[in-house]
Amino acid sequence: MTGSDQPTLGRSGPTFDRRQLLGAGALALGLVSVPGLLTACGGGGGTGGAPAAGGEVLAWYWGEQEAAGMKGFFEDAVKKYNQAGRDKAGNVRAVLQESDTLYTAFRTAAEAKKGPDVQFFWGGTQALEDVWMGHVAPLDDLMPKAWMDKVNKDARRETFWNGKQWGLPFYEINTAWAYNKKMFERAGLDPKNPPASWDDFIAALTALKKSGVVPLGAGFKDAYLGGWLISYFGAQGFDSIDDAIAPFRGDVEYSGEKYVGWLDRIKELIDRGFFNDDVLSLDLYQGQQLFESQKVAITNSVQPQIVGFQRKLGVDTVGAMLSPAWGPGKLARFFPGGSQVLTVTSFSPRKGRAAQFLQYLHEPAVMKAMYDACGAIAPDTRFDPAWLNTEVDKQMAELKLTLPTIWYQYYYPFPFERDGVTPGVQQLFQPQGSVKTAVDMMQQSIKKWNREQPAQVKAYKQWQLLG
Amino acid sequence: MAAAGVNIPTNRRGTKARPSRRARAHSLTPYLFVAPAVLVLGVVFAYAVVRLLEQSISSPGLMGETEYGLQNFSAVLSDPLFHSAVLNNLRLFLAVPVLTVIAVLLAALLFERVRGWRFYSSVIFVPYVLAVTVVGIIFSYILQRHGLLNQVLSSLHLSSLTRDWLGDSGLAIWSIWAVVVWQQLGFGVVLFLARLSSIDVTLYEAATLDRAGWWQIFRHITVPHLAPVIEFFVTISLINMLSWIFNYVYVMTGGGPVRSTYVLELLIYQTAFRDGLPNLAAALSVVVLAFAVVLLSVQSVLRHRIERMEG
Repeated sequence: MTGSDQPTLGRSGPTFDRRQLLGAGALALGLVSVPGLLTACGGGGGTGGAPAAGGEVLAWYWGEQEAAGMKGFFEDAVKKYNQAGRDKAGNVRAVLQESDTLYTAFRTAAEAKKGPDVQFFWGGTQALEDVWMGHVAPLDDLMPKAWMDKVNKDARRETFWNGKQWGLPFYEINTAWAYNKKMFERAGLDPKNPPASWDDFIAALTALKKSGVVPLGAGFKDAYLGGWLISYFGAQGFDSIDDAIAPFRGDVEYSGEKYVGWLDRIKELIDRGFFNDDVLSLDLYQGQQLFESQKVAITNSVQPQIVGFQRKLGVDTVGAMLSPAWGPGKLARFFPGGSQVLTVTSFSPRKGRAAQFLQYLHEPAVMKAMYDACGAIAPDTRFDPAWLNTEVDKQMAELKLTLPTIWYQYYYPFPFERDGVTPGVQQLFQPQGSVKTAVDMMQQSIKKWNREQPAQVKAYKQWQLLG
Repeated sequence: MAAAGVNIPTNRRGTKARPSRRARAHSLTPYLFVAPAVLVLGVVFAYAVVRLLEQSISSPGLMGETEYGLQNFSAVLSDPLFHSAVLNNLRLFLAVPVLTVIAVLLAALLFERVRGWRFYSSVIFVPYVLAVTVVGIIFSYILQRHGLLNQVLSSLHLSSLTRDWLGDSGLAIWSIWAVVVWQQLGFGVVLFLARLSSIDVTLYEAATLDRAGWWQIFRHITVPHLAPVIEFFVTISLINMLSWIFNYVYVMTGGGPVRSTYVLELLIYQTAFRDGLPNLAAALSVVVLAFAVVLLSVQSVLRHRIERMEG
């Protein structure tokens, strides 16, 4: 288009007087303000008849790292949700997060009050920390109670705080010991009946060692193993989950057989030479690879990883067993599982729409698609056990039905692990290591937590478990 | 304040006349030139420091509230992990005199133009150009319980010397120490060689004519001429050991085993990004900043003394 009245770029273009400029500026400002005003009018909830805020619902998720295939599932689920027009006000966009930045990126965004509407967290206290920081919205006002009651209670308990549900359990993260059936056989052990009591466990490890294999393979250089060992053995003295949180609420001291008896058992395993001698040189995954390369007989593992071991080494070689019982408590024989959660952020202007998307992820067809894609099981009564298609998954589902479930790591505050459990157990692997020093480190870590994070301690003390 | 070189005219009564507008504008010119740099420093450094100080005295309360006070410093200073980290930084400081002495001696030897000296100096410098992360990962494998070093020792019938170099809490920090010395040595050697190359050769010729031995030449000519460079190298290395050692520790041990290899930088990083406690990390950073300021002040004092001695 040409013409003398056509505006052109550069100095030769048309000129505007001050009034015209002010008018144009006011118009632009008005246009820019409209979405903001609409957002403000939309309110924070998106429920109770308030108009839903527009724009896309942003979901930051995680899981590919422990359930390979999660990324494909999530992207596909989002695509179908958008294509079906399930959300009339806009689309959902999902962004996979890295492990290292899962929390830091979110907390930076939360401080600026700009970021995702849906955020993934590891379960229990690792999600509640952000609840206590004010970054998460309660789900009770966003989802019907009858609907929420269909989500497994054990899983909900981990993020139920101050009378409200803060995290929606997304998928189970069940753990077990992977063991090599053929090595068991060669050591004269019954591969179909792995040890269930402590004495049987010691006898089995002794036989394995005698047969020339390293009984237990693990890596502790990167510090994660401490959380595993306390979760495998540390809750066996408890009669209820309330016992797990009592020392951090300040009700009892973290001492005595009930709380620290598990350290004697770990020390016994170390002193008898059952672990690989380079535990402190290897990272967690390097330790688990010793099992995959058939250099050790038993390793700590998660359910999808054991399925992977079975696919690689064969069902007749790989089995899964629970931690042998040593403890005097009702939880001595327990199912070691927890759940990762999705939350709605407190600063989201699209809370209702975000909650609607979370509910979609718990629809039976979507839960089945997630299991088929990555082996992750949704902790939901609407998940049909008939969908399970591997021996390990079926075995674990059966065990879960018969045993109380707890993953201790999700009930204690993280500083306890960082400053107490990890260094305490690591020093047990040192030649001069002692249980007394480990106990001292753990007790000191609780004191330090009280000293350094009084606000978190105050919040933790309000924790009343879901009955 | 008038800039140098600007003449201020006097009136008949001998008092200073008010400078002309042009002269005043001219006097502002230098400030205009430095203004962008001041602005950048102000935004990048001063603002960051002020924010850091503000953050170090505030703590998040329950559900997003903020509390102010010195509780972060109190918590940090009473934490045994902080003491352990400071101790490890001091242990790493011990690498500085070792590094300096070896680097000066090697530089003096190479300066003698021994056969193949160019090759040797390249070999010594190569580790310095490698990325710290790469060096850390390679050495974390070499120093494993069943790593290359122990394999070599075993093959030399020295199995009694094999150790878990990074897994033993009493050894790990010294293993990192050795890797740091190995990698940083090249920088010192090249720095000192460059300085040696600029020393007047007639000094050496005169000393040789006077039948001075290698040690006498080294002590009375080489070292005094290297003094300013040594001072620079020592200062830089000390600051490095305080605030640049993070990569080695993070990659090789992550602070373990039994928290025996924590240094201040790693503690700050993990407090801020792993534990999600930015305010405690800010208090730690202020402490490190204070350390660095002390170090720079000491260097400044030393520089003045050396300049006076030379002058």
